[in-house]
Amino acid sequence: MTAGYAMNHPWIRTNTFNYHDFGDLAALVDIKHRKGLTISLCLPTLNEEKTIAKEIVIFKSELMSRYPLLDEIVVIDSGSTDKTLEVARSYGADVFKADDILPSLEKYKGKGENLWKALYITQGDIIIYLDADIKNIHHRFVYGLLGPLLITDQIKYTKAFYDRPIASDTGKMRPTGGGRVTELVIRPLFSLFFPELTQIMQPLSGEYAGYREIFEKIPFPIGYGIETSMILDIYNQWGLDVIAQVDLERRIHRNQDTRALGKMSFAILKTFINRISAQGLIDTKGKMFDEMIQYSIVKDHIEPDIANLQGYERPPMIEIPEYQEKRNIF
Amino acid sequence: MFKNLEMLPNFSNRLQSMMDLILTNILLIGQIPAPTFSEEKRVAFFMERLIELQIDECTTDGYRNPIGIVRGKSRDKPPIFVVAHMDTPFSKDIDHNFTVKQDTISGTGLMDNSLGAGVLLSLPEIFRLLEISFDSDIVLAGVIQSIGKGNLRGIRHLLKTWSAPIRGAICIESGELGRLNYYTDGMIRCEINCTCKPVASPNSKFSPNAIVVINEVINQIQKLRLPLKPRCKVIFGTIEGGVKHGDMALEARLGLEIRSDYDELAKDVYTDIQDIVSGIEHEYDIKLILKTISHVRAARLKYNHPLVKSAVAIMETLGIKPFKEPSTSELSIFLSRKIPALTLGVTYGKKYHQTISSMQIDPMFKGIAQIVGAIMAIDSGICDESPMD
Repeated sequence: MTAGYAMNHPWIRTNTFNYHDFGDLAALVDIKHRKGLTISLCLPTLNEEKTIAKEIVIFKSELMSRYPLLDEIVVIDSGSTDKTLEVARSYGADVFKADDILPSLEKYKGKGENLWKALYITQGDIIIYLDADIKNIHHRFVYGLLGPLLITDQIKYTKAFYDRPIASDTGKMRPTGGGRVTELVIRPLFSLFFPELTQIMQPLSGEYAGYREIFEKIPFPIGYGIETSMILDIYNQWGLDVIAQVDLERRIHRNQDTRALGKMSFAILKTFINRISAQGLIDTKGKMFDEMIQYSIVKDHIEPDIANLQGYERPPMIEIPEYQEKRNIF
Repeated sequence: MFKNLEMLPNFSNRLQSMMDLILTNILLIGQIPAPTFSEEKRVAFFMERLIELQIDECTTDGYRNPIGIVRGKSRDKPPIFVVAHMDTPFSKDIDHNFTVKQDTISGTGLMDNSLGAGVLLSLPEIFRLLEISFDSDIVLAGVIQSIGKGNLRGIRHLLKTWSAPIRGAICIESGELGRLNYYTDGMIRCEINCTCKPVASPNSKFSPNAIVVINEVINQIQKLRLPLKPRCKVIFGTIEGGVKHGDMALEARLGLEIRSDYDELAKDVYTDIQDIVSGIEHEYDIKLILKTISHVRAARLKYNHPLVKSAVAIMETLGIKPFKEPSTSELSIFLSRKIPALTLGVTYGKKYHQTISSMQIDPMFKGIAQIVGAIMAIDSGICDESPMD
């Protein structure tokens, strides 16, 4: 079977934008007001004291004071041991510990957990999720993602793509090297099962935005699988046309070592396989394990390094009684 | 002398409400690398940002110095210039992204002069917040090609082509808060390049090694007897040479500055160094060239000039302790053209020329209030009464 039809699909032409397209911030504010929308920015954190303040300062200045696009900036923290919370609070963000939100539920640690709990805490009709470790932060990261959501009625979820230079420990910039899990794991999987989705340039980018009405109806894996599940679930329930991607030009991030990427790949694969299995595309016969096994040479012998990655998922937020009560959903 | 000193502490307090915008400008402009001769992207951002901040006029001069103009009320008063150099001494491939903490910001180029450029960019909005208007037009110029081999080209060109009179000028540098530069040393910046032939000449005294030759040049310069009055000193600033640990260095380069408060003395020392270079070139049978990169003449405002006296009063009102020192920056070009001018620093910083340079956030508000006060002082006419000479 060939995937030729994917190449001819117009989505990549019609639903790919550049942040420059939305540089008129006054116009975006006008649309926001006309549509009667509120917008929340969520920054999930875990030891991000070096980058969090910069994000808050720039967004508050440009997208709250000068152009009132954002109604709130919320930091949801997984348990930082550095000064992330203190710094974020001192620059005026609303700061929450993930464990303190919906305290009656079992507690988990992970980015997906923070994003899911942000749905409960935030007020906005639109929620923007940005990683808090972006070194070259600029307000385009927000208004670029918001643009398609505001100017069209059809698009409900936007995803960032960009160049990914890496900042090394010496402070020098290396022009390439990012996106390894995308190219080695996700893109092959998409090509095998959902060729249409290969048009999404960086499915694992940590910057995305969407309407609450979408996010509250999908499950959230608590860890690395969140980006993958989000795309697959939105695609499955609403189709590709509600998704758009936005070129944010350049994002400088910290490099991760191969072992960390291995764990990330494990979680992503598990999320993916669970979903295609549920759709009947493959049959694992229930034989999947929860442990990622890597090996290290310690002195003169090899030792396994086993990480338990169960891949727990939070149910759609709309099913949570506290959420229903808070938002008057009956 | 400037009279409205009492409003300045209030300015400092009110400026704190603008912290997000000022920091944003510093971050956004500072994240764009701008090594000397490659400032285009930073210039483009500076222009875009001035337009975004709705400045009255925005343009570039023939040398691509970006300029914004805040229109004044009077058509008769000459403009006041406020300048900050746009270039930094770091190459493009160095990470220029800053880290913001509770009380400090750190990063490459911050203290020379991204902070200064960010504050310059913030001035139109600062004037609006403080509800200040001026009689004179305020010309905000981000000058390019300033430091090192740039040799102050940007400001030289800007003033050379600005045909109308200028009422006075303030040069903004990132730090140090309290600096009060109102005089400049005569300065000759030069480079000595040594090139040796790969094979030793039979007549040469030693095997050719450019590093050894440069070392000899340094030794001989250090033997020069320099007077204490007029002041004069030679600063060895940069040195590089060779390729591998085990290979004779065939090329080496020494960068130095001769500084004096008396121009003729700087020239005499330059001639002495020229003689040293010629002598060593002959003795070692190598190629040794002394090249002038930059030449700035000594110039000064008198300490009792109203602008200097006003600046001291402004600083003291704000609780800033002034310290005087010579400068070789844009100030020298203003003063050499008989335009009363000062260089002021915005805040306290550390490790100015390292990739981890850092600034303190809180004192910045006093630093900016001081700059606004100095502009207001010039606008009140203090330099009109006592132009230079």
